[in-house]
Amino acid sequence: MRLSVDLGESFQIALRALRANKARATLTTLGIIIGIVAVILTMTAANGLQRAFRQSFSSVGTDVIYVSRMPWIVMNDFFLYRNRPRLELRQAEALAHKLQGKAIVNPTIDNQLDVKYRAETMEGVTIIGTTEKQTQVASAQPETGRFLTEFDVSRRKDVCVIGTDIQKGLFGSANPINQEMKIGRTTFRVIGVMEKQGGSFLGGPNFDRQIFIPISSYVKAFGGDRGRQDVNVSVKAPSQEAVSNLEFEVIGEMRKIRHLRPSEPDNFSLNKLDTLVGAFNNVMGVVLLVGLLVTSISLFVGGVGVMNIMFVSVTERTREIGIRKAIGAKPHSILFQFLFESASICLTGGIIGIAFASILTAVINAVLMPASVSVTILGTAVAVSIAVGVVAGFVPAYKGARLNPIEALRYE
Amino acid sequence: MAHNGNDPARTPSGPTLLLQDVVKTYVMGADTVHALRGVSLSIDRNEYVAVMGPSGSGKSTLMNVIGCLDVPTSGTYSLEGQMVAEMSEYQLADIRNQRIGFVFQTFNLIPRSNIFHNVELPLIYAGVPKTERRGRVVEAIERVGLADRMKHKPNELSGGQRQRVAIARALVGRPSIILADEPTGNLDSKTGDEIMAILDELHSGGQTIILVTHEDYIAEHALRAIRLRDGVIESDTESRRRVGHAN
Repeated sequence: MRLSVDLGESFQIALRALRANKARATLTTLGIIIGIVAVILTMTAANGLQRAFRQSFSSVGTDVIYVSRMPWIVMNDFFLYRNRPRLELRQAEALAHKLQGKAIVNPTIDNQLDVKYRAETMEGVTIIGTTEKQTQVASAQPETGRFLTEFDVSRRKDVCVIGTDIQKGLFGSANPINQEMKIGRTTFRVIGVMEKQGGSFLGGPNFDRQIFIPISSYVKAFGGDRGRQDVNVSVKAPSQEAVSNLEFEVIGEMRKIRHLRPSEPDNFSLNKLDTLVGAFNNVMGVVLLVGLLVTSISLFVGGVGVMNIMFVSVTERTREIGIRKAIGAKPHSILFQFLFESASICLTGGIIGIAFASILTAVINAVLMPASVSVTILGTAVAVSIAVGVVAGFVPAYKGARLNPIEALRYE
Repeated sequence: MAHNGNDPARTPSGPTLLLQDVVKTYVMGADTVHALRGVSLSIDRNEYVAVMGPSGSGKSTLMNVIGCLDVPTSGTYSLEGQMVAEMSEYQLADIRNQRIGFVFQTFNLIPRSNIFHNVELPLIYAGVPKTERRGRVVEAIERVGLADRMKHKPNELSGGQRQRVAIARALVGRPSIILADEPTGNLDSKTGDEIMAILDELHSGGQTIILVTHEDYIAEHALRAIRLRDGVIESDTESRRRVGHAN
């Protein structure tokens, strides 16, 4: 009972002191403000990145192995892969044959071409030649119309399924189904529109800006084995657990198909969502590390500033501490009084920081990627401010609490 | 309004204040200072005592010991039957809070708080609930005639008014003794008289008052004068009983 009375009253006493010295308190909080802005922005960036990542790659299956010439993530080691021979369509077909019954195999070829509908043109659209198995291997489904069928593939029909960006860009609000559009120089009929999958993740593929056509029609219109495009093969395992075994099998079969000797390394790559997640986590790790560094430095600087000010405050009020002790204040009352003062200073700085960071977050949200300040982040920012206040203010507050009342009363 | 500073329930029969062979020695740098060399005295309820002596006599140290701001190096000090000399800092703070009311020469009010809050402070530290506090604070402030200045800050008051606030603060906890250290030292003579009149009145109402001063004419307000010299009591005399404040 006594302690809670002390706490409540100490808080009031602290607030009173703050109000008396507003200018000084505001200046001190500058370091804290910057630190809190850094804390919040780091967390919102991390959150936003994660959300954007998950959104963008939701269509990449977790139980799918993607076989291609190059690995997905290529950085300084490009020269290692440059000389690999292409993946050819007949190799893909051989793999499908070998894995029949054990997995769903879907070969694709893709390239970037210009597409046209009446007066509208879109340049550099990704055209993907695929089979009817596409919708089994990836989660994205058509929203209107239908997807390709085995019949379309076997008959090399000039039909296409377009992404939502294509619909918006070429057809606007008109219904694209059964309309004829040009892909490159060939006319295709729209039979379906894919569901929206979310925007491009920091320059990665935009899954809404694609058009699916039968792979046979692709070869017919744009050349397959005669052309220079790479074939990619998606292999979907029957279950999550079967993936690792399937990997071994795929590697074994591909090596045979591509006539590799036992001593030669693989000249193709198996990619999985895991790989992307791994790369993403690396990026996230860097973002968090940088953020943490900036935050720690600013909060440290801010904390030192607060500690400094609290030393000044305690010294200035030495006489006052003596008076309070003379009329019965116990050391812990003095300690709490000054701790509350320094926590209040930091909390004020924190609130200002939250305001700034919220504005910045709104800007990021509008310009770069989805970002918002969640309640958790707000709570963390508040807790951090108070913690910095308590830690920074502790030594001066302790010194004040330990003052000898007689000497303190004599202090000028 | 009669003000009895001593709650009979907590005063066993016997003196309010009893010092026996109190010695206080402290080290200042290379020197050892023997501030009190064996002081014994006893003060009863409702006494009005002046403690006098030149500088260096130990009267400030004696006041600090009586006021529980300091503990004796040896000897005993019992306040209302409680052995104070053995108490911890924590316990001493409570004693100062509830048994002793200080009035200082330099007033020692909290500058950034208003009068009400200044007088309220001892009750806050005592843990008195808010509802009870208000009544007691107002009562104390009215007692010293400053009810119309309750929301003012100390720097808006004259010296005499500030000292009255200090007296109100000293009273609010209903202390056993009021310890006034040169209460008129920073005031002109007319204002000083007003302050002494308040102290006299408190004494008439039953309060025990210990006054530390080096001025004879102030000491004459009291009914007993203890003179210190070189750390021991030189004399301890009862004054003539005074009627009114005529000098």
